[in-house]
Amino acid sequence: MTVHIRMDDRVEADRLEDMAQGVVGKPLDRPDGARKASGTAAYAMDSLPDGACFGVLARATIAAGRLEGVDAAAVEALPGVRAVIVDERMLRNPAQGMAGKAPVQDPHEIAYFGQPVALVVAESFEQARHGAIALVLRLEARAGAVVGPDDAGVEIETPEKKQQSSGDLDAAMREAVFGVDQTYTTPVHASAAMEPHASIAQWDEDRLTLRGSYQMLRFNRAELADALGIDEKNVRILAPFVGGGFGSKLGIAPEAVAAAIAAQRLGVPVAVPMSRQQVFEGVMRRSETTQRIRLAAGADGRLTGIGHEALVSNLPGEKFSEPVTQATPFLYRGENRVIGHRIARVNRTCAGSVRAPGEAVGVTMLEIAMDELAAAAGIDPVELRLRNIPDEDPTQQIPFSSHKLAEALRSGADRFGWDRRRTEPGQVRDGEWLVGMGMASAVRVNMLVEAKARVSLSSDGHALVETDMTDIGTGTYAILTQIAAEMLGLPMDRVETRLGDTDLPPGSGSGGSFGAASNGTAVFMACEEIRRMICERFGCEAHDLTLKDGRAIAGNRSVPLAEILGGEDLVAEGHAEPGDAEDKVRQATYGSYFAEVGVNAVTGETRVRRMLGVFAAGRILNAKTARSQCLGGMTFGIGMALTEEIFHDPRDGHIVNRDFAEYHLPVNADVPQIDVVLLEERDAWANPLQAKGIGELGICGAAAAVVNAIHNATGVRVRDLPATLDKVLEGLERQGG
Amino acid sequence: MRSADTPFVRSAARTDLDLHLRVNGRSHRIRAEARETLLDVLRERLGLFGTKKGCDHGQCGACTVLVDGRRVLSCLTLAAQAEHGAVTTVEGMVEHPVGRLVQAAFVAEDGLQCGYCTPGQIVSATACILEGAATSDEAIREAMSGNLCRCGAYPNIVAAVRSAAAVVERR
Amino acid sequence: MPRYARPSTPDEAIALLAEGGWTILAGGTDFYPAQGARPIRDDILDIGAIEALRGIREDKGDIVIGAATSWTEIVRARLPMAFDALKAAAREVGSVQIQNTGTIAGNLCNASPAADGVPALLVLDAEVELASTRGIRRLPLRDFVLGNRRTARAADELVTAIRVPTASAAGRSSFFKLGARRYLVISIAMAAVRVETDLQGRIARCAIAVGACSAVARRLERLEADLVGRPADAAALGVIGERHFDGLAPIDDVRASAVYRMEAAREIVGRALADAFGTTAGQGVAA
Repeated sequence: MTVHIRMDDRVEADRLEDMAQGVVGKPLDRPDGARKASGTAAYAMDSLPDGACFGVLARATIAAGRLEGVDAAAVEALPGVRAVIVDERMLRNPAQGMAGKAPVQDPHEIAYFGQPVALVVAESFEQARHGAIALVLRLEARAGAVVGPDDAGVEIETPEKKQQSSGDLDAAMREAVFGVDQTYTTPVHASAAMEPHASIAQWDEDRLTLRGSYQMLRFNRAELADALGIDEKNVRILAPFVGGGFGSKLGIAPEAVAAAIAAQRLGVPVAVPMSRQQVFEGVMRRSETTQRIRLAAGADGRLTGIGHEALVSNLPGEKFSEPVTQATPFLYRGENRVIGHRIARVNRTCAGSVRAPGEAVGVTMLEIAMDELAAAAGIDPVELRLRNIPDEDPTQQIPFSSHKLAEALRSGADRFGWDRRRTEPGQVRDGEWLVGMGMASAVRVNMLVEAKARVSLSSDGHALVETDMTDIGTGTYAILTQIAAEMLGLPMDRVETRLGDTDLPPGSGSGGSFGAASNGTAVFMACEEIRRMICERFGCEAHDLTLKDGRAIAGNRSVPLAEILGGEDLVAEGHAEPGDAEDKVRQATYGSYFAEVGVNAVTGETRVRRMLGVFAAGRILNAKTARSQCLGGMTFGIGMALTEEIFHDPRDGHIVNRDFAEYHLPVNADVPQIDVVLLEERDAWANPLQAKGIGELGICGAAAAVVNAIHNATGVRVRDLPATLDKVLEGLERQGG
Repeated sequence: MRSADTPFVRSAARTDLDLHLRVNGRSHRIRAEARETLLDVLRERLGLFGTKKGCDHGQCGACTVLVDGRRVLSCLTLAAQAEHGAVTTVEGMVEHPVGRLVQAAFVAEDGLQCGYCTPGQIVSATACILEGAATSDEAIREAMSGNLCRCGAYPNIVAAVRSAAAVVERR
Repeated sequence: MPRYARPSTPDEAIALLAEGGWTILAGGTDFYPAQGARPIRDDILDIGAIEALRGIREDKGDIVIGAATSWTEIVRARLPMAFDALKAAAREVGSVQIQNTGTIAGNLCNASPAADGVPALLVLDAEVELASTRGIRRLPLRDFVLGNRRTARAADELVTAIRVPTASAAGRSSFFKLGARRYLVISIAMAAVRVETDLQGRIARCAIAVGACSAVARRLERLEADLVGRPADAAALGVIGERHFDGLAPIDDVRASAVYRMEAAREIVGRALADAFGTTAGQGVAA
């Protein structure tokens, strides 16, 4: 039986608080940890069926044009090659997150350099790769392809729905005692999940099973079925372990559809792994951004106006565009506002979600601008932010569901030793290193997405949690197990969680930090139903029932669950849906970052020396995995601040640095001791768990803390990320340092 | 019959090789092409899927294995090159006196998130301890910098190596 | 399909090379990536089993490093202080995994402008020993590496050793490398120096080389000459001028701009010299 909740209002009862098992929130080890540590966790390419063939994608080497044909016969004659496939159902680029239908199809039309156009299938991977390289593509380049957002002739859209303004920002800027009007830029970023995209397709008559590396299986199933023109009931996707996603695996991607087509045509399982280079070229990038930010403030630093206008890019026709200004309307006060959003249409790899689309780059640059305002106004950066926390969402004029920014700022400043920071830049020297501190606010919108989960309590007192939700490193296995163990009063080792199989009830999928809260709520609802059934059998009221260590307790009775169940299994399905709560209150998560950096005065190198993040995200479901998520976000922030940048060749748009040698993720030695503090918070508007998302909060401004620290160390203000050593050194020289 | 342990050097040129590989203490005899990497052979011929392919170009460390106790990148090693050594993969760590401790420490310290880089990290961490490189957090960071982790588990990885090294030290 | 051979002696190897068509595989760390996305198609001559090519020994006063000696072996070897720069460079070659298999001669033969080992070997006046069925010859390293991915090695030749003359194994040396991140990084610029001082503490001989700022790492002879005779202290660094770097021709690329490279080269040469002088104005380890 399915129990349903739609989040239209606050949920007053904090049910988890009433539970007795005491596992929710605890820093427990991941139940899947041992499998990952022993190499037995099976990722997409780790379950190769007998007799599988391999497919390798061949890609276009022009920015735009048409594929007139391929010289298939020559390649099909090579040893081991089974087929060369060019099929109109093949994808040009991956689906955007939660599309639920096929993205743009037909590889004959070419929209970017590196676009998959054909699949070569062979008995071994080496043979397929050989064939894909040998395959001659007859390409007809289209003149006038535009590959950069600044190129002549670029088409720029200004979608009306994405522009907002209130008051008179120009007047506010004129009247401001202190103001900032600067343009900031961020480069193209890559998700760079460690597991490259890969799919293995296998048909059993008209039923397709796909092992893939995907984040949102219920959507992916619909997308794959739509692309193939079949009923989604005939598609099963398995992704029990996903080697990182960060947005890159939200939507079905070309390799999955190609594998399915090839497997059907050849009647054998077909595995299509993408190379690292193909992943860089063919999977979503985060758009570069140009952001004009205007801040107007009075003598006391209180904002009277905020302008945030962004230019981003994407392929022609793609609906997604980096929502740079997503948090700007509600983060700070200021009655005069302009939000602008423009999209340049370019023939470059498709732009899509990369960890915290919007806030990751938008809040970061806004927080650099705030640091500039603090410097201009002579107000401490923490104090400036405290003065500008609004009482309600200043744009929609609705209350905040919960709001801990002030506490995060104060607590962070206190723990970090912020009072030791010198206001004047360039004052602290340690040998040839200039040392400085910087900080930034963190903010990320909070969402709930429809999710279902099934919980079964077996007669021997074990529970099974099932949903097609994924664990992409986020800790889903841990937190769903904890919620069920808590609600059903079972030790952790008596609860098993099964994920990543579309035959299970459809979860929300992993994305947008909503996975834990959404699927956790579904599990919670199912458990509530099982508790109700236990009450019926036990003859007690819901509020009198305590479940702990496999026993049911009510009044002076304490009975093993198995006895109450009497050989029967109890099964319930929970179903969570978003509702009106989203419109009644502004839901978001908040935090603060503090960073200390050393900048080498001679070479311009920046080393982050220590970093702190303080975060409030409602109830923390597992203090250990939540902390890890925050560490990960802040590490992304270090990369964004200092090293990460995709370069497109200005001639044909191809990605120049499409590997890990040249796209510089932080390595272990780049990351210092990072401390994470998770504040106590409950958000009754979010869901009955009173928990909010935390997977992305760690990146939403983190880079600004580092860049602001560089300024404090050196006086050099970098507005064009990343702050590489040459930019910093140039700045040092400009100021005669 | 020749034992797989006996060093055996070929100088005749051949395209298709009969290889004896010793992996995790077991001997395997396979036929492989000269161009096949140790990584591909481990995964596709021996079914040892624990070792991961993250970049196939020696830039990420996900494919790290031990050959005669030294950590190497199996994606840059031809299977034929490994014929004369003892290969230990993540699957062999369970029986490795240090590797076992490292595995437990990674779970306890949450030195893993998505888990894809983890086999390489664990093999690398084991070697790092055996090399005597785990002398300080700073030294561990440098010694572990050949293994990328995009989830950003580095501080926890350092903690895991530190704690496993401390246990080894005490023994 | 490629052939594979794994000889056990240098003679066997050069006999095969004389047949033609072989690509030499040493540690393999550059071999496979160099194929790009392509499958390996060359015939592979694996020299990893030739014991005679490994290890470090003395020969008539010269220090002879076997061609297939790994970076890890170099890091661990007992060598004079003049080799500190080489050891420091060895620790910066990729990761420990790479250092365990990558070889010194492989780094030279691969001839990347950013090859980490070249500047440190240039300041040691290293020579490259090549063998073929035609005989043995030695070339100064500067005549061996000709350009980006180009060397003087003939197709039938095998690099058998790197020799450092006795006279050059003296003094103190230092190495600095700049990269976009702390580790596992291709150089933006690097510098190696070796300084010999006399009893009065004056610079008697000095060797300075810069890598990643021209197609081939280069010695800065004019700077070397201008430093000789000066006291080895911080004041000597004042001699360094733009003219000393005329021979460099850095490029703009994804790692850094040419302008930055030029400035960085000047800075790290100064740091490396200070380090070798023992004045430690520069510190090798970052904050």
